[in-house]
Amino acid sequence: MDTLIEVKHLMKIYNPGENEVRALNDVSLTIMRGEFVAIIGQSGSGKSTFMNMLGCLDVPTSGSYYLNGKDVSGLLDDELSDIRNKEIGFIFQGFNLIPNLTALENVELPLIYRNVPAAKRHELSVASLKKVGLENRMDHKPSEMSGGQQQRVAIARALAAAPPVILADEPTGNLDSASSKEIMQILRDLYNEGRTVILITHDNKIAASAKRVIRIVDGKIVSDTSYGDNESIEAIAKKIEEEGDKEQGYV
Amino acid sequence: MSQFYEYLKMAVSNIKANKVRSFLTMLGIIIGISSVILIISLGNGAKNVVTDEMSGIAAGQIALYTYDDTGTYYITNDDIDAIVEQVDGIKAVNVYNYFDGKLTTRKGEFAVSGSGQMSSFPYFSNSTILKGRYFSENEYKAGMPVCVIGEEDAIRLFGSTDVIGMSLEVVPSWGNSITFDIVGVEKKPDDSMFSYTYENSPVNIYFPLTVFSQIYGWEMDDYYQIYLLAEEDADTTAVTSQVVSLLEKRHQCFGESIYQYESFNDYMSIVNTVIGMVTMLISLVAAISLVVGGIGVMNIMLVSVTERTREIGIRKALGAKTRSIMLQFLSESAIITMIGGLIGILLGIGGAYLVAKIVAMVQPTMKFTPAVDIFTILFTTLFSSAIGLFFGIYPARKAAKLSPIEALRRN
Repeated sequence: MDTLIEVKHLMKIYNPGENEVRALNDVSLTIMRGEFVAIIGQSGSGKSTFMNMLGCLDVPTSGSYYLNGKDVSGLLDDELSDIRNKEIGFIFQGFNLIPNLTALENVELPLIYRNVPAAKRHELSVASLKKVGLENRMDHKPSEMSGGQQQRVAIARALAAAPPVILADEPTGNLDSASSKEIMQILRDLYNEGRTVILITHDNKIAASAKRVIRIVDGKIVSDTSYGDNESIEAIAKKIEEEGDKEQGYV
Repeated sequence: MSQFYEYLKMAVSNIKANKVRSFLTMLGIIIGISSVILIISLGNGAKNVVTDEMSGIAAGQIALYTYDDTGTYYITNDDIDAIVEQVDGIKAVNVYNYFDGKLTTRKGEFAVSGSGQMSSFPYFSNSTILKGRYFSENEYKAGMPVCVIGEEDAIRLFGSTDVIGMSLEVVPSWGNSITFDIVGVEKKPDDSMFSYTYENSPVNIYFPLTVFSQIYGWEMDDYYQIYLLAEEDADTTAVTSQVVSLLEKRHQCFGESIYQYESFNDYMSIVNTVIGMVTMLISLVAAISLVVGGIGVMNIMLVSVTERTREIGIRKALGAKTRSIMLQFLSESAIITMIGGLIGILLGIGGAYLVAKIVAMVQPTMKFTPAVDIFTILFTTLFSSAIGLFFGIYPARKAAKLSPIEALRRN
């Protein structure tokens, strides 16, 4: 396994000066290709800021970020767009589908921005939608689909361009438990296929699908625990729970 | 390039998704473009009517007159002969002289407008002969009382156009009565606004100018105004100045500006310039409404950018660059204004033909067709797209500059 993400001394400071907020405070982290990592933390812990950095949606105040061998910490807007397009597949809490486009057209979007020719684009998008079991819903608009289906479209969109990193930000936050299970199963399947999945969540049960859990508190990494492939989700969930309690001084 | 096609597709699908709003946005452009097209094509149509009418009667005609208060520098018959013989590029010279009078047929009493002409009359007439013939050079020289009348007048006088050989006994309001033999009937000019006859309009008769010696009792040899007709390819100005210098030589009055002239071509170009200027002026007002329409497009695009902030955020997160977003929004405003422009062109042309129809109903003798030239259409189409691009830039830039996190955070 080789290194996919390498973050060193990453800082993100809002309002520099008197009332500065250190959303990320000297974060260093390495993620290998093929890992399934969960980044957990309470709201306000800085995990969303970290996700924006990892997703190249924002640039750090200082520190370095190597993604797939490239330093992306000092890039300009359009260069970041390019990196996001090629390296990262986003899955958002609010699905973030474009309402007046069909499922297929939504999945095609990142491929359009990558200049993939129409025929190839169509082929890749259909394959991707098949993978999430939506081949019969390709011409439906988001408003004609359930939340779970919409999130599956978003996953198909993230997969279509076959990016090295799948970045899922609270992917089940807007879903009922049945749909949540479905979505998490898809993410586990992706991991089993060898893809790198980074999951950002506040929910320990959701985080338990991952094989490595990184906890962020007040902009710092406070724990980084790996679990064996043979450990069950329930067992991992229990361990995360215990560790979280310890962290907050309950034990 | 294929990328650009994608942006066009996105723009079209978005316009389709907001049909009512897109149409309302277009409305300003539609009104602006259609009024510009309407006014320009009506203006061109009017110009064509005037040109056709004028060239029918008067193209190449020059009125030459003496500007002299001593009464010595009139133009004589010998002068006219000299002009015809010596000046190159002269096709014909004519002199008109009128008298009023009346005549009676079994159809009743009619007012008469008698018009004495030289034998060059056919060149100056805006019509052609229907029956019989014009009077000849010999008849002119001999002062024979023969005449030509119009088709409509023949019917008014006799109920028929078979009037060759009939006589008209005309009583002038001053001078001796005279009996004319009709030798020709002129065709009614097709739909001319200058030949409109009404119920009591006098009967026009055209006869040799020399007949005036019988009416007045003396021979006419002193004219204050003559009409010149230049050859079709001749330079009217050059021909006229030759005529003027010939007259100045014959009357020994060099450089005294006694002989002056006005060419109908000059009148025509003045009339055309005036119509052109009026058209331009009204078009300018219409063009202002086009700019207002463009501002409307800008407003709606700004609202649209605010409404679609989240969409822009998603697109940027998925890899859209500043340029991609910019092009998408610019295509949208350009397409809206272009479609508006096309609808406007169709409405403008339709409106112009409608106006022409109404004119034809009110004034049937006036043959008025709106003239729409391809240049106007091309120009207005380009202009409306340019307006879309220009007024689209600001909203598109605003959209493209949004930061993806900011945009995604907003709902």
